[in-house]
Amino acid sequence: MLFPLESALTADPKTVAASGDYDIVIIGAGISGAIIAKQAAEAGKRVLILEAGTGANRTLAGYDDLLTTFYSAASKDNQSPFPLNANAAMPRSPLRKLQAGQTDSSTYIVQSGPYVSDTTYTRIFGGTTMHWEAKTPRLLRSDFKTRTIFGQGLDWPLSFEEIEDDYRLAEREIGVSANVDDQQYLGQTFPGDYVFPMRGLPLSYLDQQVNKGIEGTSVELHGKTYPLKVRPYPQGRNSIPNPAYDGGKGYRPIGAVDTHQVEEGGRCQGNTNCVPLCPVQARYHAGKTLAKAFAVNGKSSERLVELLSQAVASKVNIDPDSGKVRTIEVKVYKDPASAAHETITVKGKVFVLGAGAIETARLMLASGLPSTSGLVGRNLMDHAYLLNWALMPQICGTMRGTSSTGGIVDLRDGPFRERQAAFAIDIHNDGWGWATGAPTSDLLELVDDRNLHGADLRRGVIDRVSRQLLLAFMIEVMPVESNRITVDPQYTDPLGNMRPILSFTVPEYTMKGAAYGRHFARTVFARLGAQDHTYYDPSDFGYVDFEKQGYAIRGGNHLAGTHIMGTTKTNSVVDKNQRSWDHENLYLVGGGSMPTIGTANVTLTLAAMCFRSSRDILKYLH
Amino acid sequence: MYSYSIRTLDELKEFLYQAMRLEHATIPPYLTALYSIKPGVNQDATQVLRVIVVEEMLHLTIAANILNAIGGTPDLTRPDFAVDYPASLPDGETDFKVGIQAFGREALATFLKIERPAQRPIHLVGKGLIHRKTSPHTTALGNDPRHEDLHFYSIGEFYSTIAEGIKYLEAEAHRVGTTIFTGDRSRQITSEYYYSGGGELFGVTDLKSALEAIELIIEQGEGDGGGIYDDNEHELAHYYRFDELVKGRYYQKGDQPGHPTGPQLQVDWEGAYPIKANLKVVDIDIKKDPELREAATAFNTRYGEFLQLLTRAYNGQPTLLLEAVPIMFEFRNMILELIRNPLTNHPGKNGCPTYEIPGSTKQAAVTQQAEVRA
Repeated sequence: MLFPLESALTADPKTVAASGDYDIVIIGAGISGAIIAKQAAEAGKRVLILEAGTGANRTLAGYDDLLTTFYSAASKDNQSPFPLNANAAMPRSPLRKLQAGQTDSSTYIVQSGPYVSDTTYTRIFGGTTMHWEAKTPRLLRSDFKTRTIFGQGLDWPLSFEEIEDDYRLAEREIGVSANVDDQQYLGQTFPGDYVFPMRGLPLSYLDQQVNKGIEGTSVELHGKTYPLKVRPYPQGRNSIPNPAYDGGKGYRPIGAVDTHQVEEGGRCQGNTNCVPLCPVQARYHAGKTLAKAFAVNGKSSERLVELLSQAVASKVNIDPDSGKVRTIEVKVYKDPASAAHETITVKGKVFVLGAGAIETARLMLASGLPSTSGLVGRNLMDHAYLLNWALMPQICGTMRGTSSTGGIVDLRDGPFRERQAAFAIDIHNDGWGWATGAPTSDLLELVDDRNLHGADLRRGVIDRVSRQLLLAFMIEVMPVESNRITVDPQYTDPLGNMRPILSFTVPEYTMKGAAYGRHFARTVFARLGAQDHTYYDPSDFGYVDFEKQGYAIRGGNHLAGTHIMGTTKTNSVVDKNQRSWDHENLYLVGGGSMPTIGTANVTLTLAAMCFRSSRDILKYLH
Repeated sequence: MYSYSIRTLDELKEFLYQAMRLEHATIPPYLTALYSIKPGVNQDATQVLRVIVVEEMLHLTIAANILNAIGGTPDLTRPDFAVDYPASLPDGETDFKVGIQAFGREALATFLKIERPAQRPIHLVGKGLIHRKTSPHTTALGNDPRHEDLHFYSIGEFYSTIAEGIKYLEAEAHRVGTTIFTGDRSRQITSEYYYSGGGELFGVTDLKSALEAIELIIEQGEGDGGGIYDDNEHELAHYYRFDELVKGRYYQKGDQPGHPTGPQLQVDWEGAYPIKANLKVVDIDIKKDPELREAATAFNTRYGEFLQLLTRAYNGQPTLLLEAVPIMFEFRNMILELIRNPLTNHPGKNGCPTYEIPGSTKQAAVTQQAEVRA
């Protein structure tokens, strides 16, 4: 706990309730809220951030506590570092298989069968960037107009060209590490002098071994040839600052939960457990942007950004005459272990809901605020992941490097998208963990079934784990109105807030991509001489039958679409600045605004959109 | 009275070499104390020590940058570079010993002395260096490299002398239309290779950057002119971070030195492994603890390789610093191996790294001694 004490202090609920001079009230201390708060504060605006989580991880000690929780957790899933908090619950494993029509309300998200999604998001200070993988590809030009080009999905009300400058701002904020040369594929271009803030991280040894087996080969799809190669991903984790950045001014990696420089995020050390939580804060999280926002002082050196933690937004109140948001009702709990709370009303000029695609839609629906278009909660998207795993013929150093450093991404685009979904393939450096629970499962097998111990066991684990190759196919999902979030008063949390109900079916377009992906994986494995171990269990919660084959589909946690952006109030919930069509002082920000997600992880794009929204909010306030 | 001013470039180079030696000398004690802390306890102390180790490495690199800037050659492999612990550091009119020991009250008392802001009392101002005979078996740091028995009053004074020397020599050079900053700029270590390390690393290319570099080293250690923070009111000086642990309380803005008023913190004074202080390889019984002895030697060899790598990095190959990072992880593992295992000949005491670097003069003496004892 070396950081300045005042940054640990949170606002007092009574003062917050009595305060009438917030320019902006933001729900959610994730990356969206953080960017808007920082931009607004730098323009001299007073900002209140309401965070449902405890905010304890704002301190280095609190961050380290999360790591300790993760290290001691038996199950190492995305949410393992984050303590249970029923007042701000989040989706967690395990999930169970459901039959069609069957409903499971035993986990936070109520789900109905037959398809069960394991998608997650994190309701904690820093939001889901506290567990994201930090891959930061941009959307491709074509992703902004899939309806026009491929007759699929929806067109954005924005072109790539209109968002390009904001992509650069987002890359700066996140401190993206990448080399322009590596990212120039499928028509992606960069201005002649552009460099990313930090240099690209190297491909892992496993990536290199896979590349060796496939480089120079190609696949054919609907009459077009696609060359194969492993390309590095742009990443939101610290590498070497590029001295050429910003016209030669260089880039200075700064900001973390702690303002002390040594804690501002070290250089990436290749910790394989960086998902869910980077031990050295090399991976970007919204706490870094928030630290900058909290540091901004006003004219009489008062802090411009306040944080109220343990504050769960419960209802958005609208002025029936103007349609403007008047106040937000907030339940402030005293202790995560108890439902005891007080309800306060918060006033402001502009309100920003940045609680993630599911929570933002949930809050809108729970407040009884369906939009003119009726699309709030609809068009829910998340990348569908299909895992394929095999054993490489030789030791490939699996478990070295962060979870994913490179992938096969040349099938992110092509004319085939008229008929089937595109995909990007992540090579997982952490072995079969996601698919089979390795290396724990390997250890159990070697000990229990093969009775290995001592040196034999060590050798056995090395031989088994260090050849593991997991190809995770991240498959495009297009917006479908019936894929949606709803609420129902019969499903509430301890504070009495309605929980989200998820109805999702993996669209046929996506399943065609998945079926091709399975075929593609077999081709790659054959070229590598790798032994395919992929098996999809019909009792798996995400099992989907498609054309007489079964596939286990996983959620990608790239949530989008629930307050979709468009050109009119009848075809969308928000305009191209993420402002609500129906409520002029309300912004619904984040992945929920995205009309399509292509094959790019959503964070970079939604961060870029929040820079755009920040400008619009400031314009509105003037 | 002997003038301890620096008057030639060669003298300045030697002073800067001694500065690197001094900065490096604090790393083994801090690093060992850090890793001696048992898992799960002393979270605050762990953070304090970790931050300070990293900052000492920053200081070492800054000193190398200054030496490079004036055309010098940093050499961490010189036989006298790594010191023999316990070594002697200046603390006012007397010296004190800094050694390798576990985290605890005693270690903390030593660390406070290392970082203590020491200004001469009025009656000693302008009185020159302090004459003190150092035992031939002890490494003395912070003395005048030209006169072993002449000691500076404090580390701060040692650096001030360097700063004055730089100013003087640069002014002299200017007079004849030249500069002392003739070093190859590509040898400078910049933030590209070292960041988030407790301060901004910048290239030293002229008088201004050289003086800034020295100021950064002094302020991070002692604070700014007696204040608890360094110059940008951002970071607590090392001395006061250690003081927080002693007092069991955090400092907060506005606090007076010695009187932290922030929240309380917990220090578990028993929460460290009982390592044998200032252990030498020869003290590990080769028959009873052969594995421990091997581990101690292996660590020293690796540490020697690390110093060689740094030397190459500071001599025009800065990218090699990236290779130093995984070695730091190796150190952690190797040190833990030593620290968590008991020494048969010293009941109740565990092993510890000895930092006797192969090739150093002291190490040679140790080897001879070992042969005699065998």
